[in-house]
Amino acid sequence: MHRYRVCGLTVGSDIMLPGLNAATSATPTHDVTIELGTTPTSLSDATANGPTWQIAGQQFLLAIPGIARFLLTDGHHITVTPDTDGDPTDIPIFILGTVFGILLHQRGQIVLHASAVRVNGKAVLFCGRSGSGKSTMAAALAKHGFPVVADDVGAISITAGATPTVHPEGRHLKLWAQAIDRLDLAAGRGDRVRRRLEKYYVAPDDVFVQSLPLAAIYILREARPPHRPGIEQQAAIDGALALRQNAYRPHLVNRMGQKTDYFRAASAIVNSASLFTLTRPLDFKAMPAVIASLEQNWQDIGLLDKAA
Amino acid sequence: MRTVWLASFPKSGNTWLRMLIANLLATGEQPIDINDLPPQGSIASGREPFDEWTQIESGLLTFDEIDDLRPRVLEYIYAHPEEHIARAEAYSRNQGTTGTPPTRFVKVHDAYTLTRRGEPLLAGRRGADGAVVLVRDPRDVAPSFANHNRTGIDQAIATMANRECAFCAQTNRQFGQLRQRMLSWSDHVASWLDQSDLPILLLRYEELLADTAGALRNVLSFAHYDTEPKRIHRAVRLARFSELRAQEAAKGFREAPRPSSGNQFFRRGIAGGWRDELTSAQVARLEADHGAMMKRLGYHLVSDAMPVHAE
Repeated sequence: MHRYRVCGLTVGSDIMLPGLNAATSATPTHDVTIELGTTPTSLSDATANGPTWQIAGQQFLLAIPGIARFLLTDGHHITVTPDTDGDPTDIPIFILGTVFGILLHQRGQIVLHASAVRVNGKAVLFCGRSGSGKSTMAAALAKHGFPVVADDVGAISITAGATPTVHPEGRHLKLWAQAIDRLDLAAGRGDRVRRRLEKYYVAPDDVFVQSLPLAAIYILREARPPHRPGIEQQAAIDGALALRQNAYRPHLVNRMGQKTDYFRAASAIVNSASLFTLTRPLDFKAMPAVIASLEQNWQDIGLLDKAA
Repeated sequence: MRTVWLASFPKSGNTWLRMLIANLLATGEQPIDINDLPPQGSIASGREPFDEWTQIESGLLTFDEIDDLRPRVLEYIYAHPEEHIARAEAYSRNQGTTGTPPTRFVKVHDAYTLTRRGEPLLAGRRGADGAVVLVRDPRDVAPSFANHNRTGIDQAIATMANRECAFCAQTNRQFGQLRQRMLSWSDHVASWLDQSDLPILLLRYEELLADTAGALRNVLSFAHYDTEPKRIHRAVRLARFSELRAQEAAKGFREAPRPSSGNQFFRRGIAGGWRDELTSAQVARLEADHGAMMKRLGYHLVSDAMPVHAE
């Protein structure tokens, strides 16, 4: 059995997951178990479904054609049935983001579609839809001395009266060839995430497992009219909607009855962390200026000491 | 709610037609903001809806794997109109109007192709009720396409002749949209005209320009979209080309390929502009590449009118 620590959870897996940092200590039990096995092709009594998935009570079935079927149960068990004509090395990358993100929703966890970096011992999140540049932002900041906390799945824990905390995702970044090239990250480039994709694992320099207090959340936005480049603070009143829209899978927030959880989380988050939009051109050439504006912003909110 | 594709090769008036349809919802004499179109006017190849409905990260799939799933996604969206209705209602409330349009018009630049499994990519009749196929004289498409792609006109002409022409097809990065196979200009038009899954309305850009209200009325009638004649006339006024250009000049257009490049998306909006933009060699090349389809669509070829010279 392979052991990992993902988003604050201990994971025991039949399947080796190459993009994850291996757990340093073995625990007798696991929060999440990943096993190879048989899964149904459909769930009877499904209460919600989509083109590739079904929900029935505490079961979620996801079918990725040519890859595998995944049955998620009670938020702690994942059964994987590889497609007979698929390539088994394609499976792990789908477990890491897609399947684990859904599992966290199933656990009732607040989970944002976000990358994150560590700034002065605290976590800063970058939310955005697929292709909005989350991984690229985290990779560029890591190269600038702010280690990666998460690549794609931003898991947040809320405790009454305390600052919300962010759990390190515990995995490697996954970056497209163009981003690796333009950010000069070839030295850390690992294997392709799938043989047929020009997307690669990039190992972090700094591995850590402790969760971090949440300092700020940035919603990434491309600078397209009418939005101009810059960092804008969001009003607290907009926070609840913004967080729900930036859930890992917004659709599942409703389908899994999490709307109230997100509403509560939003009020806890806006009480202790700042919520911004970060609007910038989707252009690698703009990255140094974006990083400079973020550092300025971190000084302004007291996260970084003022430059001498 | 009905779904009707607005199908065209790029630079054939698709966005203008969407602006006309959007302005049916205008209140008073205030044009719809070109950066705040009604949500049902989105494009069929958006990445976000694919990821959201499949719960799969499309960035981890190959183009062919995505195409295999696109029919499933489009038929699911078609069968679940409640989401669009909710969004359309929210938009109407925001605009200070009431009611939702009876038809969802969705832009599509994909050619009408089959997946490697032999299924219609756009899910045939399970994905939409019909298609408005918008075509434009390829001699006018070429200079506009060159401006759009920031290439020379010769490059645009070569791209239009490329039978594997596609948008968002590079494999070393990810785009906001899924890969769209457009094929060559001729193949694109033929794919839509010759498919037998969906009823179509063929609309030439030149007809839309010559009688905008009449053409819009035909589109709406085809789409079973009932509206008052005065709304049609107001939409034609509010979405006139000079208004779109002025809005773009004042605040930019979010759908422009590179909003900060200074290239205007709404460029000329005329028919026959090729006469002062193309060299005779470029005209001859386009007519050689696409003459058969041009004739089928009723575009007169310069090469037909010219006397044949001895070598």
